[in-house]
Amino acid sequence: MDQENWKFVIAYLAAKENNSGDVQEIERQEKKIQEWLSKDPGHQQELEQALWLWENTSVLPENEQWRESFSTIQASLIQEVPQKTIKFKFWLAAVAAIAAITLFSLFYKVQQPVLQQTSIAWITKSASSGKIINVILPDSTQIWLNSGSSISYPENLRHADLRTVRLKGEAFFKVKRDPAHPFVVYSLNIQTRVLGTSFNIRAWQGHQTEVTVLTGKVAVSRDSAGIQSAAIHLLPNQKAIANPAKLQLENVEDGRTATSWTEGKMVFDQLPVKEVFEALERKYAVKVIADQSFKDCKLTAKFNNVSLNEVLQTIQLSLDIHYTINKQTIYIKGGKCN
Amino acid sequence: MGENNTVGFNGDLVNNFDGKAFEDLYRRMYPTLKKYAIYLVKDVEEAQLILNDVFIAIWKNETRISNEKAYLFRAVKNASTNYHKVSRISFLHIEEEELPGIRDETADPAQLYLNKDRNRILYKLIDQMPERRRLVFYLYRIDGFSYKEIAALLDISVRTVEDHLARGFLFLQEKILKNESEFR
Repeated sequence: MDQENWKFVIAYLAAKENNSGDVQEIERQEKKIQEWLSKDPGHQQELEQALWLWENTSVLPENEQWRESFSTIQASLIQEVPQKTIKFKFWLAAVAAIAAITLFSLFYKVQQPVLQQTSIAWITKSASSGKIINVILPDSTQIWLNSGSSISYPENLRHADLRTVRLKGEAFFKVKRDPAHPFVVYSLNIQTRVLGTSFNIRAWQGHQTEVTVLTGKVAVSRDSAGIQSAAIHLLPNQKAIANPAKLQLENVEDGRTATSWTEGKMVFDQLPVKEVFEALERKYAVKVIADQSFKDCKLTAKFNNVSLNEVLQTIQLSLDIHYTINKQTIYIKGGKCN
Repeated sequence: MGENNTVGFNGDLVNNFDGKAFEDLYRRMYPTLKKYAIYLVKDVEEAQLILNDVFIAIWKNETRISNEKAYLFRAVKNASTNYHKVSRISFLHIEEEELPGIRDETADPAQLYLNKDRNRILYKLIDQMPERRRLVFYLYRIDGFSYKEIAALLDISVRTVEDHLARGFLFLQEKILKNESEFR
């Protein structure tokens, strides 16, 4: 790929990354890229390389050089203090307060080690069945919360050294980049640690947990009773699968599939039928009662934000079931697994 | 670009810096701003002084900043213009290659493949680029400035900015991907 091609590939990648950019511009860039792609089959690979470079240059590697430089002005900042009476008093008060708190907490810690940790208020947001909600955290991280899921975060998230949140269920994260303050998601049995990326976590109770990365880099480790396993590192279009026994990495064709639910779509890829029913229960706020367990039975299907009836009709054809709907309950009879 | 565009544009971080917010601002701005100062004055120590003077000034004056990024780059630019006036010495023209930077430690592609931290490798390569190209890359990719803003900061044309960026990416592609198709 030569320099001129790179120019419009960069324009395309920038337009795509900058979602707030105008739609016409993105369309114009996409058209140009499509034309270019159709000229030579090799161009597809070139574009992938470009995307790879683009994504892997989106953050600076961590570097502590600034610290040394900053320490040289820290002295000047303190020297300025006496000239500013108000600030001086403030600093003095702050120092005194910190000293007092430190002393206090030392004693406190000895006596009440448990209560100490619970003093920070946590905020919880939930998406009820049938709803997908969009949550924006104090640090501008964006979260799409799938039906029947909830997310908790500490009140002081924005000023915390480690941005910690807890997830139940499934969510898609677009984490605000801040390399000095890593973002950590605790969910079921895993811990997901990132700097600033987008990724999907699927952590439904009773099933294996999955983390799928769309952009950037993510570290996933198993977390059992507070003890973490070694982390595995994921890049775009890779996913981590965690079950009680192990944690493994898999490549996926297109990471975006994992987030199709944010647009109301459902994509089942060899998903156990039991889980398919659970997904329907959450999405359509219904209860599914089947007269058999569908053990070891898996389903592959794709639905574009369609009605419950349409979904059931499709499942009827592929599994040969009978279904009746009574208010918010669906009764399923029979069925064969192919 | 994209996400970066909003970094530091929170609006609420204005005059009343607390120590933590100030340190945070310094940490975020340091990598590119330092390179920019070096680019302008061609002297690492002078650049360091200018950079720190600008920061000390905003701390002392509790300057009200609505767009801290644009403000800081402009302030460094002004300060280095003054520096040239005051010192009145014909500053040394340091060849780009002589400027301090990370030397080629990753020339061996096999070594690249072994090293898993792609982001770090890429930035090692970026740091090997000629000074101006490297600066354009940082200003664009890390600080999210537009071509137009970069052109104004570096006193070059928009076209040149675009060329530098494209060549920068081309350089990375040739250095890494052509040799290492398995790198992914």
